[in-house]
Amino acid sequence: MPVRVVDTATPSSHPTSGQDANAGHPSPPSCSLLSAGRCYAGTQNVSTIQKEEAWKVNVRINDCDLEQGYLCGTMEAVNVPLADTPVVTFWEGEIVDAKNYTFFTGKWEASPEDDIRHWSKFPSFTPLLSQIETDGGKSVDFSNYAYIFMRWKEQYFVNVGVDCGLTIAGFYYVCFSCSDGSISGYYYDPNSSPFQKLELKCTNEKDSGFTFSSYELQ
Amino acid sequence: MPATASGGARPEEAAASASPPSPTASYCMGTRPEELTARLAAAAGGRPVGGGGGGRGGGGGGGEEEGEHERVRTLREIKNQIIGNRTKKLQYLRLGAVPVVVAALAGPGASPAALVQAAAAAGSFACGVDDGVRAVLAAGAVAHLTRLLAHPDEKVVVDASARALRMIYQSKLAPKFDVNNNEKNMEFLLTLLNSENENVTELAANIISHSCDSTTEQLALCAAGVPQRLVNHFGGSMNLRDACLDSLTAIIRNNWEVASRFALLDHGKALRSIVALIHDRSPRTRLLACLCLIALSHASPCHFQDRQIKTKLILVLLELIEEPGHVGDDAPLALTTLIKDSVELQKQALSTNAVQKLSNHLIANSLESRRAVTILLALAELCSKLEESRSQLMSVQASTLILDALKHASVDIRVAACSCIKNISRSSKVLSAGKLSCDTFIAPLVQLLYDSSMSVQVAALGAICNIAVNLTPRKSILLQSGAVSQLVHLSKSMDPTLRLKAVWALRNIMFLLNPKDKDFILKELTLSTLSSLICDSEHFVQEQTLALVHNLVDGYVNSFNYVIGEDGMILNAISRQLNNAPAPGVCIQGMFVLANVAAGGELNKEAVMNILVPRRADRVKQSFIVNFLLSKDKQLRVATLWCVLNLIYPKCEASSVRVVRLQNAGVISQVKGMINDPCLDCKVPLCSFIY
Repeated sequence: MPVRVVDTATPSSHPTSGQDANAGHPSPPSCSLLSAGRCYAGTQNVSTIQKEEAWKVNVRINDCDLEQGYLCGTMEAVNVPLADTPVVTFWEGEIVDAKNYTFFTGKWEASPEDDIRHWSKFPSFTPLLSQIETDGGKSVDFSNYAYIFMRWKEQYFVNVGVDCGLTIAGFYYVCFSCSDGSISGYYYDPNSSPFQKLELKCTNEKDSGFTFSSYELQ
Repeated sequence: MPATASGGARPEEAAASASPPSPTASYCMGTRPEELTARLAAAAGGRPVGGGGGGRGGGGGGGEEEGEHERVRTLREIKNQIIGNRTKKLQYLRLGAVPVVVAALAGPGASPAALVQAAAAAGSFACGVDDGVRAVLAAGAVAHLTRLLAHPDEKVVVDASARALRMIYQSKLAPKFDVNNNEKNMEFLLTLLNSENENVTELAANIISHSCDSTTEQLALCAAGVPQRLVNHFGGSMNLRDACLDSLTAIIRNNWEVASRFALLDHGKALRSIVALIHDRSPRTRLLACLCLIALSHASPCHFQDRQIKTKLILVLLELIEEPGHVGDDAPLALTTLIKDSVELQKQALSTNAVQKLSNHLIANSLESRRAVTILLALAELCSKLEESRSQLMSVQASTLILDALKHASVDIRVAACSCIKNISRSSKVLSAGKLSCDTFIAPLVQLLYDSSMSVQVAALGAICNIAVNLTPRKSILLQSGAVSQLVHLSKSMDPTLRLKAVWALRNIMFLLNPKDKDFILKELTLSTLSSLICDSEHFVQEQTLALVHNLVDGYVNSFNYVIGEDGMILNAISRQLNNAPAPGVCIQGMFVLANVAAGGELNKEAVMNILVPRRADRVKQSFIVNFLLSKDKQLRVATLWCVLNLIYPKCEASSVRVVRLQNAGVISQVKGMINDPCLDCKVPLCSFIY
């Protein structure tokens, strides 16, 4: 979700990713609740010291490729002040799997300390912390862990111009729960309010069950 | 490629002309094909014929000699007329000249001069004209020419015979030379390979290229030491070297054992000699060496891991695209074969600016050539996996050219352009940006669904299948383009590929579609067609149709009525398929349909219950659902589990009744047992919804 531009400084260019690929490492578990077509709704807390504020957010997954550690989708911020219409952005995600991506971002102005500080906000990360400190998380068996950790980076505005007064310079640390399809996240941008919390629930759950849809490319 | 209608000898054909065309006007004989054919026929019959002041009869040796001269002159004249002249060849074919020419090869007392002219003429008839090949083969030329390879006059007769046979073996119509079950043939081939005469060794290489197409033949040739002999000839003429490279490729292709043995041959020296040839002066040799190495790398990847060589191959092939003729035309195809299905090699190609170079070539030249087809196919392959390639191709002028190619008169160009668009759109990122979901691309693609060529229709369907996945907030232009009615039409085609791809496209269009548009599609498709497609003879069509239904009933209450209504036509069809336990893909999609239906109201859940646990007193067969829960396929277990969870969710009186029914059928105990399922996607929902 875009946030208001705090200052006019443009984000610095991304450093090289520096990801330590570890071929043969098992991917996180496939999860029916994290797949193309899944929709989530919730809020992003954008409160500042001066003002309590939360924006309604809708997220849709367009693609999820566990093997490549890739996912993408759209994020819609519904009640953005000063915006005439809901603001939609396209984002791409990195799935932490110790194969394609580790817990350490290595770009987007995030230091390892920033990473640990944000990941540690998720209770489900705590059991992994000692392994992360030992070997960077290489020995974590993600295939059998009921939480999936990701980074979501907004790439462009879908329905408004870049001059809309909003910025997508930052990115989200995200934790997905396979058991109920809920998503928690923290927005990170050195130029924005710290620890803006994102909370989403899966909306494909109707009153009387979960529904599914799928596409397949050739 | 055939020669032009009236002229233009192929190089091999021109070379086969042992003597230059000689002026015939000085002879007092007619040169019309009718006369020449008649005269040759008469000469073959041993009697001189009149007309044009030609051969006169005469007694004794002098007469025979003159008759033979006459025959040689006639054969030479025919040969000179037909070389490079398709029209003349066809004219002589109609006159029945070929059997007479070939008969001249059979005469026991035929002079070397007559044999040479007859061999050259027979070879020329077989060059570039399929009817000519058929006639030459029917006349028994192969046997006569093969026999003449042992003629004492090696310099002239053997050369001419070898050349003629090479022209015959260039045609796909030529008979295969069986070396697998025929020791004599193998011996003969080895004799040819050992010959001092380069024309003969080149013939042997040509025969191998033409005939070797089975694993056992490849192994037999390898066991006989043929690869080493072929490598030994690399030092010969350029033509011989090229023939040997081509022959080696045929022996190695798709054969791990032969490729592995070859890679280790002579401590890798043989392999290194081919690597050296990718830098040869001759462009054709460079291309053939590249093709041989590509065959090796595919057949035995473990013996061909040198990344540098692969990079060199990419660079050489990209250079060869600049070459005129067949080499430049075939280089992009070789590149396509090299990088096919390999992300690593596609990345390497991208890093050498392959997309840019190929695009530039396409832009600089017209679409009116075979090279445009092969370049488009190479670009399509480069875009099959890499986002960066897609982005580069879409950003250059080439994307406009691809659009032009969609409307081109040539079938091959249209197919290749569709492949490009299909692979560019094989990306959720591209689809999310909606770059291809515009009228500029969709209109010509939809037009191609009506194409007279089925291969174009299939290719267009491939592209539309991908573009149909509308990941943008804009509603689908595809629906307004008239595509749906043609897709529905094609889904009823007699051809299974057309049916499959048409249904696949409809399934992708249906993904997250709004209810109004779902209604529109269903109206066009009709429930009875849908029902027939669920029971299609092909599993793949069944699977895509069920996926279509699964998208149809996702979160759209009215669509449940379609599935349950009409006397349950759709549900009955699904029930029949699931009870017959077809392919896993069909079961998975079928169970997702039922899961989505079971997420509806009580009527829906009851309808699904009646499929899973029918109320039949005489039921002895265990419900398929238990088998599905026990399946090795985790996706099937997941789909089945969600169906059960939706049936018992939310907790209420009605769901308790269903739990009892499912319990009695042994389903609940099976579901509970899955708490230890190795697949987390099975285990986790259980923890949340059952326990």
